[in-house]
Amino acid sequence: MSADSAAKAKPPPVVQVRDMDFCYGTSKALFDINLEVKYHRVTALIGPSGCGKSTLLRCINRMNDRVPSARVTKGEVLVKGKNIHDTDVDLTQLRKQVGMVFQKSNPFPKSIYENVAYGLRIHGEKNKNLLDEAVERSLRHAALWDELKDRLSANALALSGGQQQRLCIARAIATLPDVLLMDEPCSALDPISTLKIEELMSQLAREYTIVIVTHNMQQAVRISDFTAFLHLGKLVEFSPTEELFTNPREKLTEAYLRGTFS
Amino acid sequence: MSPVPTTENPFAGDNSGIQKRETIARWALRVGSYIVVIITVAIMLHIFIKGAPVTFQSKWPFVNTQFLTELPATLHVIEDKQGNHYETDVNGADAIKKKLGDNFRAEKTISYSGGGILGPIVGTALLVIVSVGVALFLGVACAIYLSEYAKHGKFLELVRLAILNLAGVPSVVFGLFGLGAFVLTAPVFVDVPADRSVFAIPLGFTTLSFEGWDTCVLSGGFTLAFVILPVIITASEQCLQAVPQGFRETSMALGATRWQTIRYSVLPFATPGILTSSILGIARAAGETAPIMFTAALAFKDKLPWQKDLPPLPADASIFAHWDQSVSRFLGIFTESVQALPYHIYTLAAKIPQNEYAERAQYGSVFVFLVLVASLAASSVLLRKRLRAKYRW
Repeated sequence: MSADSAAKAKPPPVVQVRDMDFCYGTSKALFDINLEVKYHRVTALIGPSGCGKSTLLRCINRMNDRVPSARVTKGEVLVKGKNIHDTDVDLTQLRKQVGMVFQKSNPFPKSIYENVAYGLRIHGEKNKNLLDEAVERSLRHAALWDELKDRLSANALALSGGQQQRLCIARAIATLPDVLLMDEPCSALDPISTLKIEELMSQLAREYTIVIVTHNMQQAVRISDFTAFLHLGKLVEFSPTEELFTNPREKLTEAYLRGTFS
Repeated sequence: MSPVPTTENPFAGDNSGIQKRETIARWALRVGSYIVVIITVAIMLHIFIKGAPVTFQSKWPFVNTQFLTELPATLHVIEDKQGNHYETDVNGADAIKKKLGDNFRAEKTISYSGGGILGPIVGTALLVIVSVGVALFLGVACAIYLSEYAKHGKFLELVRLAILNLAGVPSVVFGLFGLGAFVLTAPVFVDVPADRSVFAIPLGFTTLSFEGWDTCVLSGGFTLAFVILPVIITASEQCLQAVPQGFRETSMALGATRWQTIRYSVLPFATPGILTSSILGIARAAGETAPIMFTAALAFKDKLPWQKDLPPLPADASIFAHWDQSVSRFLGIFTESVQALPYHIYTLAAKIPQNEYAERAQYGSVFVFLVLVASLAASSVLLRKRLRAKYRW
């Protein structure tokens, strides 16, 4: 058994969800979830509305903590090998390393520069040069630098919807997270902006591990390496995207993909 | 019914009770609204017509500077045998009497009606500064806690109920509370506790004695702060809630602590609204009479709070040479009792005999007071308009 050599050849999964149950108060939202997110790969979570895919995503950076009475009741979530519910886990450090982009682009009504620098500033970065560098690097990664480099002090709300969403991505990657969580990042965008974000994601996948929730199955096919299909709080199938879409193991997956859902 | 046009009106109403009731309802509501407008306009006009001539004048500088810059004084009216009246203050009375000689017939004195109303204006300003300062600090802190930190549940409901009840407490009750809490028992640092001290805690170098602050700006300001606290808490909480939840989520998702989130992405966007509501709080604090009756206000005082019989500070080269004394003298302003506009108006209206000479000071004070409050309200409306345009999301 050459576990060591296997680990060297393949980096361990960045995010591991093990036998996790999740409850909102007394109603169970997720049942016995097992998921492994591979290093520098795009993992898509698909499924009908209300199946718990956003809840699962928000378990990874513990954003569900904001909801009173919401909690993991069984199992564990490991990020970079560490159980994130351990008492010695600092939430701010976890969220610094697990960035998140929301469905609704929500830049702060501040300048473009301040938006991107926000994450670094709250983690205590004061060095102007470092901030400048980080802002430029993040905007370049988000394919915004050329469009915006001359108006960094303009209010972020003056940008178009697609630009705002890319700005939010730039803001999320400014702290150099290991994992980037995206909650339906394109659902409020027109097809052209969506295309741009998808291109961006495939570039970002070289440097970040991405987990994306989408209800657009074509999008999952286009951008993801692995796909998890959730239904009614259960993870029905999790396999490489190509396999899941061309040759699903489960009847339920097949029905969902065909659009013949009973 | 023929579908082709006829000479008959196919849509003629049947003049039923439904339509009559509609007309009655519309007119009843309209008359109600008109009555409100008429009463408001009547009050304003009456005060303007009677009060504006006291405050303004037809000659340069168009404002009656005497009325706005002098302290209240007793008005002396001297009548001669021809029936002419001379209005003067206490210093001018003897000279006029001497000049008139045998022609002198009578002298009337009317309290508080001479001079101006600088004392009450200054007093009200000081009370407002203290009360709004205290109320903003406590109110915004409370609003942030309720809106951002407190867990939803029984306790939160209880706190909200308490705030609602605080808003319903009659202002004279606040006045008595202030008398008991601030005038008689609030803690002060003294070397020797007074006899009336409730209890004293010796601290070695000094003593913390619960003997009250006496009637002064501080007592009155704190009392007024509690009067306007519910307004400020409620308004501030609404302003905080109006900031999109997305800002908080994003900020937290970037690893900000709760306080960082509040500090950098909630408060900045709620501040305009909080400031606007605090200006309305100023108007309320400036207008209350009952809370300051027992805690800060005097019917009459012939000195401004900073005019005390203290030796002048030695004239040194540096203004900081006696900074400790300067500071204590500055703070001394707040431990003086003062006159205040609403209480002054009450005194003029209820405590002195009514005649045409008293009317001048009465309407003048009311008019100035109304203009002050109205301009505060107007500035809050303007501020809100400008800030709303600036901070949109």
